Amino acid sequence: MRKQFAKTLEEVGDKDENLVVLLGDVSVFLLRKFQERFPNRFYNIGICEQTIISMAAGLSALGFYPVIHTIAPFAVERCYEQIKIGLCYQKLGANIVSVGSAFDYAALGSSHHCYEDLAILRSLPNLQIVYPSSEIEFDVIFKETYNNGYPTYFRLPGNKHGVQFASDQIRFGNGIKVKEGNSLTIVVTGPQLKNVIMASELLDSEIIYVHTIKPLDVELVRHSVIKTGKVLTIEEHNTIGGLGDEVSRATEDIGNVIQVRMGINDTFLTKYGSYGQHCTALGLDINGIKHMIEGLI
Amino acid sequence: MKLNPYEIRKSILQMCYTSGEGHIPSCFSIVEILVELYGNVMRYKPEHPDWEDRDYFILSKGHASAALYATLQNVGFISVTDLSNFSKYDSILGGHPDRNKVPGVEASTGSLGHGFPFAAGVALGLKIKAKPNKVYVLIGDGESNEGSIWETAMVAAHRKLNNLIGILDANQSTSRCLPLTNAVDKWTAFGWNVLEVDGHSLKELGHTFKAIINSKQSCPTMIIAHTLKGKGSKILENDGYSWHHKNPSEEEYKAILRELE
Repeated sequence: MRKQFAKTLEEVGDKDENLVVLLGDVSVFLLRKFQERFPNRFYNIGICEQTIISMAAGLSALGFYPVIHTIAPFAVERCYEQIKIGLCYQKLGANIVSVGSAFDYAALGSSHHCYEDLAILRSLPNLQIVYPSSEIEFDVIFKETYNNGYPTYFRLPGNKHGVQFASDQIRFGNGIKVKEGNSLTIVVTGPQLKNVIMASELLDSEIIYVHTIKPLDVELVRHSVIKTGKVLTIEEHNTIGGLGDEVSRATEDIGNVIQVRMGINDTFLTKYGSYGQHCTALGLDINGIKHMIEGLI
Repeated sequence: MKLNPYEIRKSILQMCYTSGEGHIPSCFSIVEILVELYGNVMRYKPEHPDWEDRDYFILSKGHASAALYATLQNVGFISVTDLSNFSKYDSILGGHPDRNKVPGVEASTGSLGHGFPFAAGVALGLKIKAKPNKVYVLIGDGESNEGSIWETAMVAAHRKLNNLIGILDANQSTSRCLPLTNAVDKWTAFGWNVLEVDGHSLKELGHTFKAIINSKQSCPTMIIAHTLKGKGSKILENDGYSWHHKNPSEEEYKAILRELE
């Protein structure tokens, strides 16, 4: 994902001289080609995320399209107010591209985990939230939105879902129906799509994959949930405030809908180890998801 | 453009008294700074607020909005009617300035420590575009308790943003909790060109701004403007803390007005 991030930035930066990159001292080596080609639009500002966001707002006011890149807890949580006032309230477009969300940096512990970012960002008017989990999703959606005047949060995962979507299947704000079914709707975001597909084999469940959390593809989700009457949401995020809540908002008036959320159930993850170990502990693996689907069907 | 500090203070007092809102002492301490900037220093066109060649002014201590509004009215960005609607429900003029509502306001400020890095972003953008416009940003000494001020101090000096001119309204507003001591030493240590002025002397302010515009230094400049919270009224000057966000009764209003005259 990070290599695609670098590739896409270089391609866009080549065509658009208003694209400016601001780093919080991460991915400097990764983006070295951008730096070499466009030194006047590449700034490793420093470990001062609040200042970076506010500077991006100033650059945006001048007509630039800033790309802010650092680790999720620092890009989002440390500078929530700068995102709120500097970008969202002032209606100044910018692109915040994070790595290390959820428990991607498992072994680094709670300071480097970030599974509340979607919750706090969803409540900000004017903000777009994208969670692209394959290279082509980032490439297509970034090119579609980077200069549309809105602040956009791109949550780049450390792992991919492995499904090869065609570029014409991908459009900002649109979900993708991955599998047809009638007994249960599964709305999934992020790398967990891979586990959901494998867990759903031979089971009568409909799978909707969303790379855009905000705005959610409400029509696609509602159409499926009206049909099935049951919805399971799966995300690498706190079950409070993330995809589960967004789906709940989209379907709350349908009536008689059973909703179950899989994710991190309002707790801190205090273990270290690997991403995979955390997934297993949370039931975010093939067996855990299959067990949940069978229980709901 | 000839601006009169007395008229600006009178407008501020009138707006705050009528609306029951505003931070009068914080406004009074920056009047001469605004008068000099908008009267003699900055390039701008009130009839064309987005003029590309304009200089930028950002009021990072946004709670002094009434002072900015009074100045913007005096130079023609907004009307007397706008001032009379200060802080009303549908007014374009709120307790803190809003760039999407008020012609001439470059940044929506109010949360302290936001406008300063915003200004650095504008200054960086102007450098990228190789444009000569200047960016003036006014911060408070209380605001300087915020960490983002010092983050930006480092970044702006490192990036050699010599088109960025800060004015520190040193009105001792947080001397009771976390005073900004040795401001000259601090800003000098952060790599800025530092100048000290009497923030109520138009003559000193004028010389200082002129010197900066004509200088060829490669670093940003911070003007330490020594000011009085509530300048112009002993009633306010003698009890700046109590008056910080307090509004006068009719009697007090008349008394302050008499002092200004």
